[in-house]
Amino acid sequence: MDIIGNILYDTIYHSAPIILCVIGGIFAYKANVLNIALEGMMLIGAFVSTLTAFMTQNIALGVLLAVLAALAFGVVFSLMGVTFKGNVIIIGLAINLLASAIAKFVLVRMNTSNITLSFMNVADLKLHIPVVENIPLVGSILSDHPLITYISFLGIFFMWVLMYKTRFGIYVRVVGENEDAAKSIGLKTDFYKYAAILIGAVCCGLAGANLSTERLGLFTNDMTAGRGFIAIAAIYCGQGSPTLSAIYAVVFGLARALSVNLSIYAGPAAGLFDVIPYVIMVCVLTVVSVLKHKNNKVRGFKNE
Amino acid sequence: MKRTLKKVLCFAMAAMMGLSALTGCGSNTSVSSGVASTPAKSDKKIAIVCDAAGQNDNGYNQAAVNGAKEAAEKFGIQYKVVEPTNGVPAALETLADDGYNVIFSLEYDFDALIKGVGGAKPIAESYPDTTFVVFNDNPNVTSSGDVKYKNVISVMFDVHEASFLAGSLSVLVNENAKTLFADGYKFKDPASGGRAIGFIGGTNSNGITVFSYGYIQGINYMAKELGVKYDYYAKYDAGFTDSALGSTVAGTYYDKGANIVYGVAGGVGEGITSKAKEVGRLAIQVDANKDNQQPGYVLTSVLKNTNVPVVTICTALVENKLSSMENLQSYSLSSGATGITDLSEISKHIASTDAAKAKWDEIKAKIAQIESKIGSEIKVVNAQAGEKFDASACPNVNIK
Repeated sequence: MDIIGNILYDTIYHSAPIILCVIGGIFAYKANVLNIALEGMMLIGAFVSTLTAFMTQNIALGVLLAVLAALAFGVVFSLMGVTFKGNVIIIGLAINLLASAIAKFVLVRMNTSNITLSFMNVADLKLHIPVVENIPLVGSILSDHPLITYISFLGIFFMWVLMYKTRFGIYVRVVGENEDAAKSIGLKTDFYKYAAILIGAVCCGLAGANLSTERLGLFTNDMTAGRGFIAIAAIYCGQGSPTLSAIYAVVFGLARALSVNLSIYAGPAAGLFDVIPYVIMVCVLTVVSVLKHKNNKVRGFKNE
Repeated sequence: MKRTLKKVLCFAMAAMMGLSALTGCGSNTSVSSGVASTPAKSDKKIAIVCDAAGQNDNGYNQAAVNGAKEAAEKFGIQYKVVEPTNGVPAALETLADDGYNVIFSLEYDFDALIKGVGGAKPIAESYPDTTFVVFNDNPNVTSSGDVKYKNVISVMFDVHEASFLAGSLSVLVNENAKTLFADGYKFKDPASGGRAIGFIGGTNSNGITVFSYGYIQGINYMAKELGVKYDYYAKYDAGFTDSALGSTVAGTYYDKGANIVYGVAGGVGEGITSKAKEVGRLAIQVDANKDNQQPGYVLTSVLKNTNVPVVTICTALVENKLSSMENLQSYSLSSGATGITDLSEISKHIASTDAAKAKWDEIKAKIAQIESKIGSEIKVVNAQAGEKFDASACPNVNIK
């Protein structure tokens, strides 16, 4: 029983930053902008939050600046990609490399290989939810997470509302589905693309702060370790739906939790669990694209 | 007209690209160099080629740089520190061309040096007058096991012996945690499931298992003496960057009753110490003295003091004894190149009761006693040298 509780707790733990990236990234996906800079935005968020907290000993300020730093990256990305119509893959790649390079540069200047926040204990940042924490099993899974982890799960619902129940969400989707049509009814398409990208940036900044400052109290370079790309995969698997994409993010978290917790019993073979989400991803993407193109006809002829 | 212009442009661009590729081969970011002023100036030059962690890693690379500084002050030799941007082989060649007498290469990358890549001659063969020093492996052997190039020195650290000490220390501390430490720590009582210890390694290779096997033997040695049995949890595929992963893996070990987790996995180790602080237990670090990373929660660090071989080899260089040096040099505990820290950081967190202080002194004396026996009475398996580890020889450790 204990082990199940641990696995589920770790699932939430590992899912949180990916979910944040996913629910932020879906807007860009829906607006038809491929934002591969999620990883870089998350990394700069992680770096700035820890650096600020290290300098000022103020965690809230750290989170705030992390969001602003990610926003700045988002502005650069949208300026280059939307206003100047650059190739978003190249720009995204540049931002990913830039984030890691900035962090490394500052670390070298600081004469250190990582930033450790020794003034605080991450155990103090965990929220104990009054009633829930006393329920057996459920309490041990749902309680004791840091604030941003809860925000990430609440964010799924919030983003769902924003995307499907507001005018803004509809416009973003219209821009993505048919930009010319959107223009013809007078929508400022660039504005909606900017907004979509910047929402993603804010979420990535939060994800970075969650990953570094809030849960570990430390920053090591490249600590995002590909989570941004996993988020992109989850977005594609879920076709940009907040709930479905978030579920894929949780699958990744679950696989990671399984591989960590079962390594005690299965030894090195537990690393195989890390493979599961990728296998699922390939299968889902195959099925989705087969279904999509199966009855795809152009003027009565099959479109191959 | 337009077409010719296009052609000219294309040609110009191609030429530029070609040029930049050519120059790219030779350029390396040199980071710093220095000459000491006081002693008699020597015309000898040495270079340190850092690995990916860079010269400010607070450990492995930085210690080597400090060794070079020390040698420069002592003998007046020149030194240069290089963080290669185009791969280690290019850096080695450039430095050898520039006439550096000894080049220390800290990266685990020997193919171009010993075997030669892409049809090129091995670098060691092309520059017979330059001495190359490599670390943590001995690639410089022919298929029959003889020394391949006289001008390559392989430096090995006997970290298995240092890990053995760390293992014995872990058991001693674990058994006496209640007496030793004041409130604030949340140790699991050894009598009720707290006899477990964790190990997290970056990758499953001899360079990592050598730590683990030495550690297991150290645990076994002390557990046998005290008549207890320990569970040993190990993960060898944690990688070297994902500190969040290190934190959760360590978390599961602490949950399972381990009071101490030993991490040999670069940046992942930082996640382990962070977790140790979170749950109020202990961690062991590696490579450099990282005891003050999370003060009070890092029991000790297993050291690779790269400055010791750097100074030793520089001394030989200045005294013109380089050619008579062994091509495979193992630096043992007694050389000071490896070992555990002096425990001064954790000592500050020992409870201020007389019982705790007495016990702590007793433990430190015991460790010193074990240290003097290692190498003679106590033999530790050295996986780096290809020795096999036999788990059944450690009956007091239950490897999960």
